[in-house]
Amino acid sequence: MTRYLLGRVGQALVVLAITFTAAFLLLQVLPGDAIMIKFMSPEMALTPAQIAEIRASYGADLPLWQRYLTTVGNFLTGNFGYSIQAGVPVSQQLATNLPPTLLLASLAFVAAVVLTIVLAALSNLTGMGWLRAGLQSLPSLFISVPVFWLGIMLIQVFSFQLGLVSVISPGPVEKLILPVATLAIPISAPLAQILMRNIDEVLTQPFVAVARSKGASRSWVLWKHVARNAVLPTLTIAGVLFGELLAGAVVTEAVYGLSGLGGLTYQAVGNHDTAVLQAIVVISAVAFVTINLIVDLLYPVLDPRLGRKVAAT
Amino acid sequence: MAVVSISKGTVVSLTRVVKLALLAMSLPVGVALAQAPVRGGTLIYLEQQAHTNLYPPAGGFYPNGGVLNQITDKLTYQNPKTLEIEPWIAESWTVNADATEYVFKIRPGVTFSDGTPLDAAAVAKNFDIYGLGNKELKHPVSEVITNYKASEVIDPLTVKFTFTKPSVGFLQGTSVIGSGLVSLKTLALPFDALGDATKIVGSGPFVVTSETLGRELTMTARKDYAWGPKKLAHQGRANLDSIKYVVTPEDSVRIGALLAGQAQVIRQVQAYDEKQVLSKNYLIYAAPTRGVNNSVVFRPDNPLVADLKVRQALLHGTNAKEIVSTLFSANYPQAKSIIASTAQGYVDLSPKLTYDPAKAAKLLDEAGWTVGPKGLRQKDGKEMVLTAYESLPQPQNKETLQLVAQQWGKLGVKLIVLAGDAGSRVVDNLDPAKTPVSPAMVGRADPDVIRSQYYPTTRNVLLQKSPLAPRVQTFVDDKLNGLLEAIAAETDQAKRMALVGEVQNYVIDQAYTIPIFEEPQAFAASPRLKDFTFEAVGRPSFYAAWLAQK
Repeated sequence: MTRYLLGRVGQALVVLAITFTAAFLLLQVLPGDAIMIKFMSPEMALTPAQIAEIRASYGADLPLWQRYLTTVGNFLTGNFGYSIQAGVPVSQQLATNLPPTLLLASLAFVAAVVLTIVLAALSNLTGMGWLRAGLQSLPSLFISVPVFWLGIMLIQVFSFQLGLVSVISPGPVEKLILPVATLAIPISAPLAQILMRNIDEVLTQPFVAVARSKGASRSWVLWKHVARNAVLPTLTIAGVLFGELLAGAVVTEAVYGLSGLGGLTYQAVGNHDTAVLQAIVVISAVAFVTINLIVDLLYPVLDPRLGRKVAAT
Repeated sequence: MAVVSISKGTVVSLTRVVKLALLAMSLPVGVALAQAPVRGGTLIYLEQQAHTNLYPPAGGFYPNGGVLNQITDKLTYQNPKTLEIEPWIAESWTVNADATEYVFKIRPGVTFSDGTPLDAAAVAKNFDIYGLGNKELKHPVSEVITNYKASEVIDPLTVKFTFTKPSVGFLQGTSVIGSGLVSLKTLALPFDALGDATKIVGSGPFVVTSETLGRELTMTARKDYAWGPKKLAHQGRANLDSIKYVVTPEDSVRIGALLAGQAQVIRQVQAYDEKQVLSKNYLIYAAPTRGVNNSVVFRPDNPLVADLKVRQALLHGTNAKEIVSTLFSANYPQAKSIIASTAQGYVDLSPKLTYDPAKAAKLLDEAGWTVGPKGLRQKDGKEMVLTAYESLPQPQNKETLQLVAQQWGKLGVKLIVLAGDAGSRVVDNLDPAKTPVSPAMVGRADPDVIRSQYYPTTRNVLLQKSPLAPRVQTFVDDKLNGLLEAIAAETDQAKRMALVGEVQNYVIDQAYTIPIFEEPQAFAASPRLKDFTFEAVGRPSFYAAWLAQK
């Protein structure tokens, strides 16, 4: 197990190094850079000599490899540099934006999982065919609703019309209600779809028929036998989706005016703000790698057959 | 008694006297209700974009100006109505005959919010940095200060500035958002740290007391503030206790929040949303920016638009009236010159800006551009296909350019409108071969703005050959540059205005620019918000503002 973990951490470090380098190179390939966008804009009206001086002061005139090594060195010593556009240290931007994103993503994820379980359980336990059909078509509806539209509708109805929550100066809990709902609904859709289909598949397995014929109730079979088997593929998707949530909340953050990594990424991409983007890439890579590791470690817990395989490697 | 003195010596009917008497009785009460400002309260202000670096010379970006205008004072105050320069932190000043020496007397007793004095030494240090930059700390030079040489502190409250060449625009330059005075502690910070609003220490009526980067900040009134511009009706501390400035990027959320009472004022209201605001009896404030109009400019270095006849054809083939009536509202007046009708030295050139598609077609024919098989004009095997990047800060710029493209399409000229990423936009906009056409606009209430916009070493919108635009092959217009230099150096106001008129005529005669509309800064506000004012180019000022009871 320890060897397995060490191997995985090693893999993770390789992934990080590759992502970091790829991001650095890709940002160099794009036309223009952050310094140019900031200082060559007519707003600043600087002369070429002044711009050249500024470029030199940022080290932007050094050869590529030298800038790469400097950036790597800075990251290893925990120095993420400054955002050229915003004029603040990147570490300060991360401190402001990372915690709210983590909170929002985690809550939305939990809400999505709860919603998925409720949908799957209800659709399987209900005896009424029409209700079952209705519940099973909900995920398709959820996935086709644009997040942007959903967010604006929720605000219009619950905040502006009914006045139940404030969007502009909300309390700490109030502030999360609508954004969590906005994010959870589309995230729950693929989860629910996969879980429902898997439950249907597992229900056709012979062992289910055996259990039922022994007199087990429908719900008992569902919870004790089917759920465990049906949940594995869902877990894989869940891992990927949670990773996406971290950086993917751009629209939700923009609609609700929340601080977060999504908005920060969007701004940084728009302005080629390299220092900010490098930091975000590293954070996202760490998040993905960690989540996948957790998912992999959860498999054997849910399915002992997989545990033996892991131990063998 | 007021009534007696009004009616004395005039022949008035009995009913009129009664009416006046009634008026006199009701008036004081009415005035008291309408005019006594309420002190206290928090104003919630919604901004579309987060502010960026708040180094004062970078204050031109409107989200930055919304913050800086509340927290910094300037040496002089430009009266937004008369555009006269009035005393503020400077009580008085003298300028020598050729505008190379300026001496300012500083108002005594002014302090920055960190307690340090705003005296001659502080003013000198501010302008040394704005005029010359600071390489070590990466502070760039300010756009509005030209030919700056040095400062000299004559006594604790007198400072002298000298210039290498005449600098007529400097006095007005001391009144603009980019010349906000900040504490020496702020100026000691590197440029890269000035995006944190709490670090910008000014002497203004409000102080930034907290900030969540990119999301919101709180400005609190300074209780001891006693140095607002002397000629303003409001004196002393600000009426409001605080301002909460919240970034709300989504248009519909800003408007919805305003109408639902969750905010009292919002910036950036699109013309198509005005009706919704007005129908609820809320107010639209369209503050003029008094500079170079929202326009389409040509880069004559590109052979496609090098011919005067082609440019004239496109000028007469552009229907600015249709653009304004289709996309905008009465708050966006159709342009009648290259500068706004509210700008200094404006001359009405509308007879030269007529929409005349027949004339346009004739001019293109004369220039040798004939309509080819695809309906596109061509000459020597080349097709008339032009490209422009949309400008994100300008209102509905993409839609404006697309409508221009439709109008030009009728003449057989194709205009491709690109969005592009910020990097490509900056790089391509410096290359006339890639962007023969570009949208342009700049706000500043001094004729110097024209020089700033067209001169090769400043904004250079026409892309004349200069070190600033290395991709330009040959295009230079010495006559234009001569006029622009003369505006910058002419100390006689009447002569200066004559030059401003001459430049406007010249730019239109050369069809370098197609002016579209006079661009306002559009705000919407609750009727509860009173005495909400603007500086000369449309940045909000909340110094005198107050909130009426619900």
